[in-house]
Amino acid sequence: MGLSAKTSEKIAFALLTLAALTVAGFVLVILAYIFFNGYGAISIEFLTEMPRRMMTEGGIYPAIVGTVSLIIVSMAVALPLGVLAAIYLNEYAGETRTTWVIEMAINNLAGTPSVVFGLFGLAMFVKYLGFGPSILSASLTLSLLIIPVIIRSSEEALIAVPKEYREASLALGISRWQTIRHVVLPAAIPGVVTGSILSIGRVAGETAPILLTGAAYFLPRLPDSIYSQFMALPYHLFVLATAGTNIAQTRPLQYGTALVLLMVVLGVNVIAVLVRRHYRQKLKI
Amino acid sequence: MTEAVQNVAQPQIEVESLNLWYGEKQALKNISMQIPKNSVTALIGPSGCGKSTFIRCLNRMNDLIKNCRIEGKVLVDGRDIYGKGVDVVDLRKQVGMVFQKPNPFPMSIYDNIAYGPRIHGASKKDIDGTVEHALRSAALWNETSDRLRSPALSLSGGQQQRLCIARTMAVKPEIILFDEPCSALDPISTSRIEELIMDLKKDYTIVIVTHNMQQAARISDYTGFFLMGELIEFGQTRHIFENPLEKSTEDYITGRFG
Amino acid sequence: MLDRNYKEKMIESVLFSVSTLTVVILLLICLFLFRDGLLLFEDVPFSNFAAGRFWYPTSVNAQFGILPLFFGSLIVTAGAILFSVPLGIASAIYISEMANPRVADYLKPFVEILAGVPSVVYGFFGLVVLVPFVQQTFNLATGQTALTGSVMLGIMALPTIITISEDAISSVPASLKQGSLALGATRWQTIYKVTVPAALSGISAAVMLGMGRAIGETMTVMMVTGNTAVIPSFPGGLFDPVRTMTATIALEMGEVPQGSDHFHALFAVGSVLFILTFLINLVADSIKKKYRFKVD
Repeated sequence: MGLSAKTSEKIAFALLTLAALTVAGFVLVILAYIFFNGYGAISIEFLTEMPRRMMTEGGIYPAIVGTVSLIIVSMAVALPLGVLAAIYLNEYAGETRTTWVIEMAINNLAGTPSVVFGLFGLAMFVKYLGFGPSILSASLTLSLLIIPVIIRSSEEALIAVPKEYREASLALGISRWQTIRHVVLPAAIPGVVTGSILSIGRVAGETAPILLTGAAYFLPRLPDSIYSQFMALPYHLFVLATAGTNIAQTRPLQYGTALVLLMVVLGVNVIAVLVRRHYRQKLKI
Repeated sequence: MTEAVQNVAQPQIEVESLNLWYGEKQALKNISMQIPKNSVTALIGPSGCGKSTFIRCLNRMNDLIKNCRIEGKVLVDGRDIYGKGVDVVDLRKQVGMVFQKPNPFPMSIYDNIAYGPRIHGASKKDIDGTVEHALRSAALWNETSDRLRSPALSLSGGQQQRLCIARTMAVKPEIILFDEPCSALDPISTSRIEELIMDLKKDYTIVIVTHNMQQAARISDYTGFFLMGELIEFGQTRHIFENPLEKSTEDYITGRFG
Repeated sequence: MLDRNYKEKMIESVLFSVSTLTVVILLLICLFLFRDGLLLFEDVPFSNFAAGRFWYPTSVNAQFGILPLFFGSLIVTAGAILFSVPLGIASAIYISEMANPRVADYLKPFVEILAGVPSVVYGFFGLVVLVPFVQQTFNLATGQTALTGSVMLGIMALPTIITISEDAISSVPASLKQGSLALGATRWQTIYKVTVPAALSGISAAVMLGMGRAIGETMTVMMVTGNTAVIPSFPGGLFDPVRTMTATIALEMGEVPQGSDHFHALFAVGSVLFILTFLINLVADSIKKKYRFKVD
């Protein structure tokens, strides 16, 4: 039997194309579904009002405030640490055993399930350090989650800086650190910024870690410090969809929340792309 | 191998039995050479012969390469630059380098030249003067004086290379190393750089690696011929080109290999 | 000058300390997880946990057998891998070997979006779309089944599998492919006889990491698998509700009194999960290293 080489190639290529289209199809279906069901629920009031009547009416304002707080605090912690670690790994570290251990730790942190980070955050920040269930505990937990992401993307940005820049600077009798500060970092900043922006999306979307470290089912008022509990978009969606007072009746609110969350995450991606393009053009002029 | 090393009056760089390994592979074998002050010394040889590796030993740029091991002595003004207590950063201020590909920073023309003096702590006023002086010395002032704030990457390849030379001069070195500075340039830019190099030797000691023998003949006072990591012959350029002592030097110069 | 060198050394040690922080974090995770996890075994024999067939954490005669949760995770992950590996690798081959670069540039953002969508949104989508669909299609009592979880997790594991496989496939040297084409092989023959075998270790690493991603996923499975802690049969169990290790932690942690056996049992489950993903990462890492070496 056996098909001719040409025929089997045609069949194989058709299947490969089909696979790629399926993947693209998943994306389109999910996005379109959330969008068309959700956009009707979105209004200024939805974005700026407190939930009412046991969360069966009203807006998602406190969840937005909570998510924004998480983003600010966790980025403030993770960004400097991640970038500094990336500088060490890319500019200083030799091929030593210590470097290998650090690299392995980063890979493993990147692969550790988010719920495990949640458990750790609960044991360490909430209980041991006594921060309680709070914005602080949740943000610190999330920052651990994104440090590997920031390290990896910053490393990539640093690697992309041409070796020639470093050589030129060093050959002028400029020290290593001065070279990094005045030549390497400015050139790497677009990449670092892009990577960091992407990790904002991660902070905004994670649910399991904050579930264990301070996200609240419902709060009648906004958090007043980083030691307060908080509401957050992803957890709010989870609550409405699985444990709400009237799951069927609040469907529009759920779609609306899902859409807002999706827009935050994808919007952040779009911003990252724009930032990258902006810097690229600036370099070209 | 012969004792082709020539004793020169007033050497500024003295290399004594220099050996270099990349991991297991020996890239430089027992090189000794004396490079005189205020002269142009050309290093020639087929690619992979070690001439670029050698020139990078003179300002310790090879330090950046992992698994690179060096034995022997390199004396600059009588001091061993591989000795204890040598500050590599200071050494590189004294021994500047211009690279194969023009490598200006992605900054303005002005900032490229001001970069070194600024970090070395020069005052704003001094820097203006240094920038102009460096650009004039690199024969680039007339072309750039009205657009010092435009990006260096908007210059042509030849202009970029002269900018790199100006940038090197701005930190006031005594020695400038050129690692095939014209290999990425067109003939007209090349001849401008050659003129510049000949002009610079009154103020600097110059070592240039080139794969272009005519270039070596045109601009250098001394020439060293490298082959397979060894210095085959070193002497006055005229002698090397007219009366090479070694058969392999003659073969290379007459184009029989390489 | 000494001053400058001192400053340089200081900066380097600060940077070094920051990067060792990653190791410290990893060690702290181990410490805190294992410490609270091990406390369970003061009251409950280890074998009751490791070989226990029942997870009844709140009954009077509480039982903390991890097996139903472990096999719950296993069946959902297995299903996800069965579904996402062929699809992911095929897409990776399409993107790196077949698509013209412009089409590939359009496809890559799709993969990035797939990676960016929050897991709770996947869970929500699964809940409102896939769960009713599965229930009606297979005429089940509930659509919240292991299968539903597998499909959603499979979609979520796709970006990991596609990105890393694509990386491995496109780093196969062009000379190898040209060698095959020059012998008169078709493009497809070249792909499956030369390119894919050469990229195999990278692809295996991709599968491992996709598996790690699936096993550790929490919100999605929690929302679509029904969360019944029963040891599933295979493959029939795909059509029953299951409960994974991750979902158990997230579901129950809110209600347990701190310091109780139940609390410690959840940390013990977390420890198992951590060790499992740690091993998966380690293996994926070493496979990847090997393949990098080969390409050099």
